[in-house]
Amino acid sequence: MTAPEEQEPESAGLVRPYVITNGRGLPDTDQFNLITLVTASEQRRAPTLDPEKRSLLDLCSGGYLSVAEIAGHMGLPIGIVKVLLSDLSSDGYLVTRAPAPPAQLVDVSLLQEVLDGLQARFG
Amino acid sequence: MTHYIQDPALWALIAGTPLAATAIIRGRKARAKLSTEKAELENRTADLENNYAAAVQDAQIRSEEATKSALKSAMRTLQGLANEQQLAITKLQDRYGEHHILQDLLEIDHMNSQFGRRAQSIAVLCDGWLGRQRAVASVYDVVRSAKGRIRHYTRVEIRSQSNFALVSRAVEPVALALAELLDNATSYSAPDSPIDITIRTVPKGVCIIIDDAGVGMNEEEKNRADELLSAQRAAGVTGLGNPPQFGFAVIGVLASRYGFTVSVDSASPYGGVRAVVLLPEDLLTNMPEPEEQPAPRTSQADAAPEESDSTAGGLPKRRRKGSISIVPRSDEENAPARTSEETASIMGAFQRGTQSGRSANPNREGHDPQ
Repeated sequence: MTAPEEQEPESAGLVRPYVITNGRGLPDTDQFNLITLVTASEQRRAPTLDPEKRSLLDLCSGGYLSVAEIAGHMGLPIGIVKVLLSDLSSDGYLVTRAPAPPAQLVDVSLLQEVLDGLQARFG
Repeated sequence: MTHYIQDPALWALIAGTPLAATAIIRGRKARAKLSTEKAELENRTADLENNYAAAVQDAQIRSEEATKSALKSAMRTLQGLANEQQLAITKLQDRYGEHHILQDLLEIDHMNSQFGRRAQSIAVLCDGWLGRQRAVASVYDVVRSAKGRIRHYTRVEIRSQSNFALVSRAVEPVALALAELLDNATSYSAPDSPIDITIRTVPKGVCIIIDDAGVGMNEEEKNRADELLSAQRAAGVTGLGNPPQFGFAVIGVLASRYGFTVSVDSASPYGGVRAVVLLPEDLLTNMPEPEEQPAPRTSQADAAPEESDSTAGGLPKRRRKGSISIVPRSDEENAPARTSEETASIMGAFQRGTQSGRSANPNREGHDPQ
């Protein structure tokens, strides 16, 4: 999501994404996927932190945000956001939380029993 | 006396005198004419000699102008293409943000930036188009932008940040001048040596200091650089040498046109060149206010009393960022209200439908052959 005045169709951003990551490759680890949740830790920020990293920390200082949401807010490609996130979390600025696991499948026989019970009572 | 009269020599003398006189007079006339001709010729050669330099200069200027205008329009096309391509790459980067292809897209982006800078530099020497006007940007971002326009950008380390921003008209020229300085710094130093950038606030403005660990410059090179940087020497496309050296000529033109100063006469702590760019106060402004955060939080946030940031258990509460929570307002307000007749007819139709469905013969498969 960018503010409307940033969406000028004619000129691309002044600082290109490869400069923001300083030419590093995308992280191989699966530490972050689209729905990994991150939040800022209490650690004091170094004054030399890049503006992008600072605004990323500002963004998720209010609570947990997913990687996809952060990328959307910052207007950066997701791969670039992942590089920033892995930097920040290795420096201790971020806390990550794995997404909630999908619900376990319930045994069919249990469901059948519930259904039978309901039918016996109301059917 | 008579024997004189009989002397043929006398007659010859008498006859000869007017002839001689005529000859002498003619000779004199011819000499006078020749001498005026000579003077004229001398004048003319002097004139030619004087005009020669001017004529040659005139021809030079004309050919320089012709070269400039040809290059200018060629570069304008290339710059436009580089910009278009950059936009296309940006879109692709957003679309394939999670894909492995992003790595390649970043590299293409880098090459495109270098290509754009080359075209821009030549355009500057031809008094051409510098590029689109940028928004106000922090000095740090301008330095990073410059860093992204050279080949070995990963060797460049920016050691400090600054609270100042550059006014919009200065963003692109300063970025381009810095990029040329960085290009020099990386080209004339060992492939793995670092280039350090320090941003320092001084009473006269902001200094950007670029230190390389190269071999430095000799006196001759320094003099040439000084001349070009102080714009004493008119830079043009024809005087760049072979192979052409664009760097200092481009920086000199930009510095004199936009009013900043660049000097390269000191040595860096690493023994290489220290380049200092001094940005005067009238090119500087305050940092633009960050506009992303407060704007999108609208009615809901205002209506609800400010909640605390953590739950009773001390855990941080997840706060919705404004732009996600912009759900279309509840539809009742916008949806046109139905009149009671319409509602009645809809309900009637529904009822008729269910009745006909229930009374229909289940053996028929829905299609009625009649």
